[in-house]
Amino acid sequence: MEIRPILSALLRSKTGAILVALQVAISFAILSNALHTVHIRQAVAARPSGLEDESSLFYIQVRHLKPGGHNEQLAAQKSEAATLRAVGGVTSVAFTNQMPMSGRGSTYSLAIKPIQYNQSAGAAFYFSPDSLVGTWGLKLVEGRDLRPGDVVETDANLGFEAFPTSVLVTRALAEKLWSGVPSVIGRTLYYRTGAHVTAPQVVGVIERLQSSSAEVGAQGEYATILPMRLSNGSSTIFTVRAEKGQRERVMQEAEAALRRSAAGAVILRVTTVDDDRKDRYRADNALSWMLIAVSALLLLITASGIVGMASLWVTQRRKQIGVRRALGARRIDILRYFVTENIMITSAGVIAGVLLAIALNELLVSQLEMARLPLGYLGAGAGVFWALGIVAVYGPAWRAASTSPALATRSA
Amino acid sequence: MFSYYFLLGVRSLRRNPALTALMVLTLAIGVAASVATLTILHVMSGDPIPHKSERLFVPLIDNGTPIPDKAAVAEIGDDKMSYIDAANLLKGGHGERRSALYGFSAPIEPARKDLPAMAAQGIAPTRDFFAMLDVPFRYGQAWSEADDKAGADVVVLSRALSEKLFGSVNPVGRRLRLMGFDYQVAGVLQSWRPVPKFYRLSGGSGAFGQEDEFMIPFSSAIRHETAPKGMKCLTDREPGFQGQLGSECTWIYFMFETRSGAGRAELQDYLDNYAADQRQLGRLERHAKNELFDVMQWLEFQKVVGNDNRLATWLAFGFLLLCLVNTIGLLLAKFSVRASEVGIRRALGASRREIFQQFLTETAVVGLVGGGLGLSLAFGALGLIAMQSEQLSVVAHMDWQMLGAAFALSLLAALLAGILPTWRACQVTPAIQLKSQ
Repeated sequence: MEIRPILSALLRSKTGAILVALQVAISFAILSNALHTVHIRQAVAARPSGLEDESSLFYIQVRHLKPGGHNEQLAAQKSEAATLRAVGGVTSVAFTNQMPMSGRGSTYSLAIKPIQYNQSAGAAFYFSPDSLVGTWGLKLVEGRDLRPGDVVETDANLGFEAFPTSVLVTRALAEKLWSGVPSVIGRTLYYRTGAHVTAPQVVGVIERLQSSSAEVGAQGEYATILPMRLSNGSSTIFTVRAEKGQRERVMQEAEAALRRSAAGAVILRVTTVDDDRKDRYRADNALSWMLIAVSALLLLITASGIVGMASLWVTQRRKQIGVRRALGARRIDILRYFVTENIMITSAGVIAGVLLAIALNELLVSQLEMARLPLGYLGAGAGVFWALGIVAVYGPAWRAASTSPALATRSA
Repeated sequence: MFSYYFLLGVRSLRRNPALTALMVLTLAIGVAASVATLTILHVMSGDPIPHKSERLFVPLIDNGTPIPDKAAVAEIGDDKMSYIDAANLLKGGHGERRSALYGFSAPIEPARKDLPAMAAQGIAPTRDFFAMLDVPFRYGQAWSEADDKAGADVVVLSRALSEKLFGSVNPVGRRLRLMGFDYQVAGVLQSWRPVPKFYRLSGGSGAFGQEDEFMIPFSSAIRHETAPKGMKCLTDREPGFQGQLGSECTWIYFMFETRSGAGRAELQDYLDNYAADQRQLGRLERHAKNELFDVMQWLEFQKVVGNDNRLATWLAFGFLLLCLVNTIGLLLAKFSVRASEVGIRRALGASRREIFQQFLTETAVVGLVGGGLGLSLAFGALGLIAMQSEQLSVVAHMDWQMLGAAFALSLLAALLAGILPTWRACQVTPAIQLKSQ
């Protein structure tokens, strides 16, 4: 291929070529880093919460204006759960104190020894007198689910005098607390150390359950579930699974049923798990869309830049093209000339772009705590820009190749 | 001459319309992207109370579990204060003014029968809060010092809640059933929304979240044992609300106002002495530094401007750079076909300087059009962003400062892009140009 003549022609008028290469380099650097960030954010937003078929789940937060004493509160919890179970289309109801991904909930510092100064892990603190495993469809990977016989009734104002003796932990938490142990069933978990020790035993391990803030990393899956019915707690939530496709109707009927059955004024807040998920990952999704939009515009503008410069060159070299054609060059030769020239310029841009992308990534890693760019992105990016260059230059190059030698050499 | 060049520039927009349109569009998109992201960053990192942000201080004391290794320096992993410390600092009376507050959600039973019971988001500050933050009142005023002391059941409503509950009348003196108790309305605020909400960044709806709907005295909330939203306990505590008050759990935001920025050193001494005294009493066993933040430092410490916003802004400026390079190329193309025109003008006596002025003015016209279009695109983009969530709608607002900056940016961008092509246009040698015609 005639690389030498193209190169020397390029070297004679450098400005345009440098501008195109610079554009390719800048958009390469931004594109690879932007898409990498999008990929990471989308992976975070797609993490499973542990709940099966989230689109059939919703929950109702109940707040009584006059809650009454310990016994009245427990009785109300039981009757409200029964009311909800009676609503048509409800497959399962469980009480819970918090919801995964909802942004509102509590965590507890856990220890694995009776005397310990630093916590072993902070884990989401779920409790329920019902089976959350059943309602949420959590997967047990070891041991058994909590049973009604395990449930302990207690009053938060009296400081958890009675504390459950059994607990479920997530696999991530089990690995963090007792890493490398073949089975954690029967291990003791300390919620409080020292004088008022509270230490239930692990009876089962669930595959996954995210905390209420669903943190990025292993921390987001540190959770425990205790069999407990509590009065004067910070929140009363009933989580409901509806029959497939029935959620909207069931939500309305469940709220109405609770309102009818409540003695005295009550404030209800009905939310779907889908909404919580959307809220939790709103920032990630917004950033992703912004970056995708910027990336698309980047490609468009780079392509338009290539088209613009190539068109200019074709116009400027009309006469030379005519002469070459008259001297026997075929159309394909002219086409090949422009495409080759473009590939050379794009390649220079890509090489500069790789360096720029790494530098930009270095900056993002050090200043904004972003992740390091995998090399695969650089390779893929190079491919994209080569393809983009060829597609963009094809139009002007074809126009050049179609130049009629007779017309081109005749005038000016 | 400038106005003539300007006219020529406007006319030349129509010459080669495809190329010009592409140029204007490129510039507009670049300006829009950078202005939209910059606006959000500007609002997020803005000073919510510029006239006294250097005189308001948030103190932090470490209430964490003791570390057995006495030499280890602990880092404060917290942003709030325990009741013991807040009560002591309030009593200490240091500084010009001081305020403790905490946030919570409370049920309201409206007197109007057509409104159901509802949950409202409120805060319980001490009286000084209103004066410290220059909170504007529409009706009535803050409660009195005596109300603070007695834990009186008085309430200040936000304008929105007041209108919802009482309509457009002045409700001062009326009664309101709140958390099962009768509260008397002491005042109603104007619409008041400091951005960011620096007095309560976490808990509730965060730094850019909704307005707090009502305020009751700190002492009244404590008297009624109102549970806070957001509490952190690193040590064991006794049960019940009294147990919470006596614990090292942290849940209260504290703020000092000093007479001048110079009061800081004195305040730091005061805080250090206080912590040392408490250590004598057997508390605060972690020997962590006692921190003091002014408003801007506090926003920085609490990472109010997320890394995501910085990333978006950086990338948008990278994008603007690309648009600039692209515009340079397009301008080169546009000017190169006008070499003969330059040749004739030069031959007729125009100096290089005049040619330079003419072409640069023409570039400025492109910049103006691109900038104008870019601004409207930026408004559109901000509108789209604001629709995403309430938090974003608070920050996606353009002010005059940003509007001016945006326009200057687009003009500057266009002129910068125009320099190289213009310079090249000036290099035309009239003799050669005329000969080849």
